[in-house]
Amino acid sequence: MRNWILGLLILGLMGVLGSWPAMAEDDGGEVIFTRPIKAVIFSHERHVNMGLSCDDCHEGLFEMAAGTAEESGDFTMKSLYEGKYCGACHNGEMAFASNTKCTSCHIGVRGYNRLMGPKLEAHEHH
Amino acid sequence: MGFKKFSSWLEALQNEGTEHLPSEERRRFLKMGFLVTGVFASGSLLSLVSKVNKVYGAPEVYRRSYPYRPHYSMVLKIDQCVDCERCKEACAKTNHVPSYGWRTNILERRIPVAPDEYVTEFIPVLCNHCNVPPCVRVCPTKATYKDKKTGIVIMNYKKCIGCKTCMEACPYNARYFNEEKRAIDKCNFCYDTRLSKGEKLTACAAACPAGVRIFGDLSNPESQVYQMVHNPERVVWVLRPGAGAKPNVFYTKG
Repeated sequence: MRNWILGLLILGLMGVLGSWPAMAEDDGGEVIFTRPIKAVIFSHERHVNMGLSCDDCHEGLFEMAAGTAEESGDFTMKSLYEGKYCGACHNGEMAFASNTKCTSCHIGVRGYNRLMGPKLEAHEHH
Repeated sequence: MGFKKFSSWLEALQNEGTEHLPSEERRRFLKMGFLVTGVFASGSLLSLVSKVNKVYGAPEVYRRSYPYRPHYSMVLKIDQCVDCERCKEACAKTNHVPSYGWRTNILERRIPVAPDEYVTEFIPVLCNHCNVPPCVRVCPTKATYKDKKTGIVIMNYKKCIGCKTCMEACPYNARYFNEEKRAIDKCNFCYDTRLSKGEKLTACAAACPAGVRIFGDLSNPESQVYQMVHNPERVVWVLRPGAGAKPNVFYTKG
């Protein structure tokens, strides 16, 4: 009986682990920036659902390769106010301005841990 | 002017509206409000009083007297906090705070704005260095005391017996038991680690990338904290005012 339940649990876990990278491939998934500060969330899904296409941001504003913006050294709020990166749209005209609604994107260390916690746990079990 | 005369004079006044009043005029009006509060507290004047409190947020008693010089204080612009925890890191490094302890913390509040929709607010908290500190009152050994010069609530670790009564008394949960020191530890505005060495800011204020933590001397009209707390246009409040501890840590937005 106990083995049977354990088997089901493992199958379920494999299902969860198997499905999330596939989801990520569809629309880029969620990006969590941890530099220069922890942590900023970007949802590809939400932005694509608003009618934006990949080319609207890639390339020009953001390179396709993950981590490029974070390594550039100017991925800061000041750059955003100058119209770079997210600031190209988040200027108060096309979308809410970068210097408002801070916590819409900034999920903080708490938010980061909340998102990463279960995934890390799942990896450990794996 | 007697009370009857005064009230009839007050009722005869025309409402000019506040939209076009210059700020100097507003300031004078508000000052008059305080004066009236002190002398008469009855009848139609109460509405005047409640308006004053609405504009000022924090009760007047917090601001009139400054027993300490400098009177250290912190103003926190909570809507700018993004929980990056640089302040916590800087504090831990500067003051050797162990992983299980805290001198400052960041709370999170989710405010529902629509079904399945909420806005997040991060609230930095620390010792409020109260003017009437319950922790000092309850300490049986006087290990926790209010510094006579600066008003900072400081721990004398040698005197602390670890009874944790102060932890219970603190309305702000700003204290923890430090296993290594075998004593209660808490924020002291970096008094020993920075201020006494000539630094002007606490470690957390210096580390904040968003300018959330504004630290300074509340008794100095030139300081930013003074100007923020005394600005009649700005809403300023304190945590748990009902505790009556009269904190020196203020909250505001923008």
